[in-house]
Amino acid sequence: MNDEHDILDEPSPVEPALDNLGQPTKPPVRTRAGDITRPTNELAVGEGDVRTAERGEGEYIVGTSLWRDAWKRLLKNKLAVFGLVVVVIITVTCLLGPPILKAITGFDYAYIPSDSALTKSFPPFTAPDGSFSWLHPMGTDNAGRDILARVLLGGRISLMVGIISTIVSLIIGVSYGATAGYLGGKVDDVMMRIVDVLYSLPYIILVVVLLAMFGGKSPLSQLVLLFIALGAISWLTMARIVRGQVISLKNQEFVTAARATGVSTGKIIFRHLVPNTLGPVIVYATLTIPQVMLSEAFLSFLGFGVQAPLASWGSLANDGVQNIAIFPWQLIFPGVTMALALFSLNFLGDGLRDALDPQMRKV
Amino acid sequence: MLRFIVRRLIITVPMVIIVVSLTWGLIRLAPGNFYTGEKRIPPAIEQNLREKYGLNKPWYVQYGKMLKNTLMLDFGTSLKYEGQSVGSILARSLPVSATLGLLAYLLALVVGVTAGTLAALKQNSRLDYASMALAMLGISLPNFVLGPLLVLIFSLSLFWLPPTRWGGFPSVNLILPVLTLSAVYMAYIARLTRSGMLEVLRADYIRTARAKGLSEREVVLRHALRGGLMPVVSYTGPALAFLIAGTVVVERIFVYPGLGTYFLNACLNRDEPLIIGIVAFISISVLIFNLLVDIAYGFIDPRIRY
Amino acid sequence: MSIFCSSKFRLAVGLVALALIIAGCTASASNQQFFGRAVPPRDNTLHYVSGSEPESLDPQIGTGQPEARIYMALFEGLTEYDPKTMAPIPAIAESWDVNHDSSEFIFHLRKNARWSNGEAITARDFVWSLRRGLSPELAARNAYLAYYVKYAQGYNEGGAFVRNKRTGEFLLAKDFKEDAAGKPEEAHTEPEPMANKNADPAAAAQMPKAAETEFHNFIKAPERLVVPAEEKARTKALAADEKIKKAVDAMGGDAEFVAVKKEDVGIEAVDDFTLRITLTQSAPFFLGLTPHQFFRAVPQKTVEQFDKEWTSPEHIVTCGPFKVETWKPYDKLVVVRDPMYWDAANVKLDRIAFYPGDDNPTIMNMYKAGQVDAVLNHTVPAAWLDVVRPMKDYMDAPEVAIDYYQINCKKPPMNDVRVRKAFNMSIDKEALARWRKIVKPLTAFSPEGIFPGYPQPKGDGFDPAKAKQLLAEAGFKDASGNFDPKKFPVDEVGIVYNTQESNRIVAEFIQAQWKQNLGLTVPLKNMEWKTFLDMRSKVEYKGFARSGWVGDYMDPFTFLNLFYTPAGDNGTGWWDPKYVALLDDANKELDPQKRYEKLAKAEAYLIDAQPVIPLYTAATNWVKKPYVKGMYPNPQTLHAWKFVYIENDPAKWDYGVPDMKE
Repeated sequence: MNDEHDILDEPSPVEPALDNLGQPTKPPVRTRAGDITRPTNELAVGEGDVRTAERGEGEYIVGTSLWRDAWKRLLKNKLAVFGLVVVVIITVTCLLGPPILKAITGFDYAYIPSDSALTKSFPPFTAPDGSFSWLHPMGTDNAGRDILARVLLGGRISLMVGIISTIVSLIIGVSYGATAGYLGGKVDDVMMRIVDVLYSLPYIILVVVLLAMFGGKSPLSQLVLLFIALGAISWLTMARIVRGQVISLKNQEFVTAARATGVSTGKIIFRHLVPNTLGPVIVYATLTIPQVMLSEAFLSFLGFGVQAPLASWGSLANDGVQNIAIFPWQLIFPGVTMALALFSLNFLGDGLRDALDPQMRKV
Repeated sequence: MLRFIVRRLIITVPMVIIVVSLTWGLIRLAPGNFYTGEKRIPPAIEQNLREKYGLNKPWYVQYGKMLKNTLMLDFGTSLKYEGQSVGSILARSLPVSATLGLLAYLLALVVGVTAGTLAALKQNSRLDYASMALAMLGISLPNFVLGPLLVLIFSLSLFWLPPTRWGGFPSVNLILPVLTLSAVYMAYIARLTRSGMLEVLRADYIRTARAKGLSEREVVLRHALRGGLMPVVSYTGPALAFLIAGTVVVERIFVYPGLGTYFLNACLNRDEPLIIGIVAFISISVLIFNLLVDIAYGFIDPRIRY
Repeated sequence: MSIFCSSKFRLAVGLVALALIIAGCTASASNQQFFGRAVPPRDNTLHYVSGSEPESLDPQIGTGQPEARIYMALFEGLTEYDPKTMAPIPAIAESWDVNHDSSEFIFHLRKNARWSNGEAITARDFVWSLRRGLSPELAARNAYLAYYVKYAQGYNEGGAFVRNKRTGEFLLAKDFKEDAAGKPEEAHTEPEPMANKNADPAAAAQMPKAAETEFHNFIKAPERLVVPAEEKARTKALAADEKIKKAVDAMGGDAEFVAVKKEDVGIEAVDDFTLRITLTQSAPFFLGLTPHQFFRAVPQKTVEQFDKEWTSPEHIVTCGPFKVETWKPYDKLVVVRDPMYWDAANVKLDRIAFYPGDDNPTIMNMYKAGQVDAVLNHTVPAAWLDVVRPMKDYMDAPEVAIDYYQINCKKPPMNDVRVRKAFNMSIDKEALARWRKIVKPLTAFSPEGIFPGYPQPKGDGFDPAKAKQLLAEAGFKDASGNFDPKKFPVDEVGIVYNTQESNRIVAEFIQAQWKQNLGLTVPLKNMEWKTFLDMRSKVEYKGFARSGWVGDYMDPFTFLNLFYTPAGDNGTGWWDPKYVALLDDANKELDPQKRYEKLAKAEAYLIDAQPVIPLYTAATNWVKKPYVKGMYPNPQTLHAWKFVYIENDPAKWDYGVPDMKE
């Protein structure tokens, strides 16, 4: 078979990929259609072709008009706009909320009342004597801490885990994929085979061992480990996407021209090819953020996530799950907030894909 | 075709070796041992244990033994559960996970494909928006939140269904775990079907079919679904393998004696033979499922030749 | 836009409905008398969550309490735990005699005890079982419990006696012991307590009723010295002990190392139904150990025939009130009443189904929904107590277990006893206990209120002012001599605990206490269980590590023993020969009350050195349905299953904790 078939058979590009704890996945180890020596790129091969055809030859920075078009298309997609708005609101609230809350009520995420009569879980809007009170609009947790303050902190941490881990995965995935795609041949084979192997490695053990062995000396260093661990397991699909893009770009004339004028390989990859893969990379990165946040939540469920006294939405929801039969508000608030955030991020990612992907544009 | 299959099967072997070796290395790097417990055991007893399980031999001897075992597909005996061979544990836990996984995937397929197809046919309708929003919710709601919610409602408040435990097949015990597990797959399949169908419905051959005067029903069922389901098919291979292996969370919530439960506990117990056995088994099944999917792909899409 | 709004609207409606359902069910739950559904099972079967998946059905392999609960149905020992007090009660042994210094026990076995295959249980079965348990090849992790039996440790560790080839004499242990009392010759002159006196009828009445044997003469002779049999280890051991090395070298080529054999272990079948166990030291508490799973009888023939696979349901032969019916690991174990059991007529349940379970909320859900009738200990999450504790199916009683923080006494600043005391004094343990709800504050190292008559010493109470003063004395002071938190190297300490909700909240509480009372914010760190254990036992942590201890038997010594050696479960780096001498002295005491007083003295010495911060005495914390009778919240929550039954008449149910008095 040839590459052209590949392009035709591609499933819709950039579906959310592997959640590393056994969540549904973008196909791992998919050397489709029998081509073993040249595993086909996964995603969005067609895109690159189409787009470069639209653009002038030798132009490697995507023109502003393309971005403006994409923005317009994005604004037309109501779900995506909804997602964007909610994501912005949640981000701003989580960033600005804690100091404001601290100023108004005096609570922060770690504040445990010293009076032991208060160190228990009160329902939302309830004062210790059972009457109505604005003090804890989301109630308190088992230690009497304000859940609103903790949800805000959880948002900070979850978003931070999502964004930083995605950046880590971007750095690894883009360099890896671009290198494999550009060099091609045996190097490409070996590199992509490694990706295949990594796909079939059950990550839970990697993460368990990583977090157990090099277990953070403090909650903060645990967080850093989480960034690395989660980033290190979510770059695989990114590498495939970038590789596919690069393969379709590398024989374009602007690359040949660069090569002819003696530009170094590294420079060609990172200055000429990578910028051209930006569209799909952005789309995929947007979709990686909620996945990473979800992975972190699963790690929290298994006891390897963010450590006390810090908390993420995932660890808060897990705490809530433990007490669901008695104190349902402990689950409802963090759970709903997390679901809403993931929901919006996913819609935003979908919208971005539709806006940036000419194949989907006609839909 | 045959040559392709044989080639793919052969390449499975080195890949499994790599996966198993990595896993082995990670286990060995991890601190603690299968016999570490709350009460520390005297050094002499530790010595006896190391002797008994060959842990005092050089690492390459132990590694060689592990590799040999893996290649012979005989993983030895669990360290934690004395007298239980890894083979028997796999044989016992696999049916549990497989039943759970297959039922969940079947349910996800039926609901997901139906919802996805309807959404595509009525694009931008209420139905489309509603089902896609629901699907997105399915993806955004972690199953460790969904599961306990279902338990709370159906077991602890209404007393309709048992909250936990494997009850064999078929039994009412399966309802909640299957629902919990399938939610997220349902959502993915609905989305994949929708986008696949949207693409296909605009293809020339569908236009031709419509032009021929076929009923919409026939167009959809006979022609469009075949192409529109391609993404779902390619998703099925890995999804099935991960369903079987990756039910860790659901099995934990519902206390199922499946592979996921064993795997998680084996990791926590540092039960090396069991970890290696399960990892090897999962890797092999992932690879084989992918092969099957590629073959199936060839049947569905006549453009692909091997 | 309206479409989109409607889907959002539906979502909102759904969530609100969900919240209402949840709130509704919580409200209804609080109106009930019991936490779980109180509907007795129709068949005479008890459904019980026993804890983590059992490691094995072999009582000498499985080490935990979850396994112990299962073994108590399947296997019986010489004695069994009393369902209320945990004191040993007759089981396969119908009576026993103890010699005058509690170093020799003679058990008289009942003649009608049978294995589940109908064969008789004899004293030889116990001899074989204990030897098997101690064999290095089996590598049983609980073998250390039998180290009180003479030469058991030597056999289990692969030791050897040292014999002079020429004279045939063995080196004796007492010649090399550093005797704290300074009377090494006492052992020489100690009269053989049982020998030659059987003629005297008055003495015979209190003397053990068992025949003299050649083995008995051997085992009663002064204890021989044991050195490692394996050469490398021996060279090392000799190098470490100047005295022994000298003695061995003095023999020159005549030194011969005779491996300790299983036949040397101090257990003997005097006849079919008389068993004699000889200990290496005075150990009045040894009888309390005999119901332990490690000392239960295992079937020689079956084990020899099937080796490791003897516990599979088709092979297993048992000797307890129940036998295995089906076993599906990680799912359930069903045991059925064994008609061969000697007391089968008094076994009340037809079957017991044991379910494994690790996750407390899940276990509570099973209980609440009526899937199980009773659960293991420590299953009610702390935060639920306000709701569950007032219910009449909640079991609350003191437990033979403590929680404490151990201190790394090797690293500064914690190597200074003043600093250790200061940190201990600045925790308000009363508040901690109030907050944890079911526990009792603890200042000493043995659990409070468990051992009747034990004069437990008191440690330092809550005194932040004194604590600051101590810290200032230790050098952390400003110019005017007052304690200055800024001078304290707070980064050099920390609280380490294994990842678990309850540990986390305690750690956070203590962190808050220290911040409040000392102005120090001690960092917290949690770790995965195995990693945590590894680091803790190597004393590699900074500052404080969470710890807990559950007694092996009903005696304070099971706690005080932790600091008997510098290694093992000590984990603090603190060790003092004087403390060891105090303990030795106590155990030689024959009068139980005086012995307790001496133990208390040792305990006072220990808490004065403050290698640990005692936190609280634990309490049982579990639920059982009111219709389950004969099951008590005893100190270890181990239940002798033959006394348990299901009561269908609500008038006779337990409404609250059942009466624990005889």
